Amino acid sequence: MPAYNESAVIGNVVSSAVQDFADSPYLIDLVVVDDGSKDDTANIAKQNGAVVIQHVINIGAGGATATGLSYAQQQGFDIACTMDADGQHSSEDVVEGIDQLISQQADLLIGSRLIDDEGMSKIKILGNKGLSIITYLLFGTNTTDSQSGLRIFSRKAIEQLKWKTSGYEFCSEMLWRAKQEKLIIGEYPIKAIYTDYSKAKGQNNWNAINIVKSLIKRRITEMFE
Amino acid sequence: MRYVLLVILNTPIILLGLLNIVTQYKMKRVSKQRFRHQVILWILILVVIVSSFPLYNYLIGKPLLGSSELSLLDIIQTTTIIAMLYALNSQRQKIDQAEKIIRDLHQEVSIRLSGNKNE
Repeated sequence: MPAYNESAVIGNVVSSAVQDFADSPYLIDLVVVDDGSKDDTANIAKQNGAVVIQHVINIGAGGATATGLSYAQQQGFDIACTMDADGQHSSEDVVEGIDQLISQQADLLIGSRLIDDEGMSKIKILGNKGLSIITYLLFGTNTTDSQSGLRIFSRKAIEQLKWKTSGYEFCSEMLWRAKQEKLIIGEYPIKAIYTDYSKAKGQNNWNAINIVKSLIKRRITEMFE
Repeated sequence: MRYVLLVILNTPIILLGLLNIVTQYKMKRVSKQRFRHQVILWILILVVIVSSFPLYNYLIGKPLLGSSELSLLDIIQTTTIIAMLYALNSQRQKIDQAEKIIRDLHQEVSIRLSGNKNE
């Protein structure tokens, strides 16, 4: 769970996830990667039962996710999942994702908020669909929700997936790298829980322009690599 | 004579570019894909430079592409552009490597430091 300045909600998110995971058939460790927060995110997460990795400096969601996967690789985890720290994702969807990954025999499973987009604002739907289309045009990976933070990784994906961007654009780049590594990509429907907090914290469509710029730059640069 | 000068000035830079990418590849610092693209790029530049005289003769007959013959300034400009491309390419490679090292180092330091705190 990558987190940056989430002290207002991280306690509830972690404690409810730890409880739900304890009831699941899997042995799950909840790891919060605190991306150099200036508030008390790390301490609150630890007090509520998470293993906490603290970045020395803030580098972005992509970097924090990469650190989480690197930790999963070092610890020899069979499956890794990422979820947002703002309470947008439910732990039931994470457990459901693990079931689906195993049954679909996929390497990377995306929890798509757009298969059933009820509750999502029109502007968010537009932004997310737009980014998924751009991701398809640039990298040829076809998913309904390329920006979803809920992702499930097989052991193979944990070991092979490496991306270069450290900001939010890593969501699209990760799909590209998965395609390059010939990993099996799948998706399943999830329900996004929108609160006033998560709406305020989430990406807006202006940020989407930055993401697109960065993705185009990355694509062009790698044409010469 | 001018075309010979163009070739003489640029060939060492192109060969240096090729030598650089082959060395990097042999030392396993660049991927096979990057190696392939870079070799194609430098060979393409070499072919264009070497064939610039017949190319000019061919293009001079075309109304849209007809221009005056290569001047000394053109030679300097072309050589500078190719030298800049070489420098840019080498610098980018170094920045990429440094970026990767810093990212991996930060990741490892964060995991190890947090490991001590979690114990």
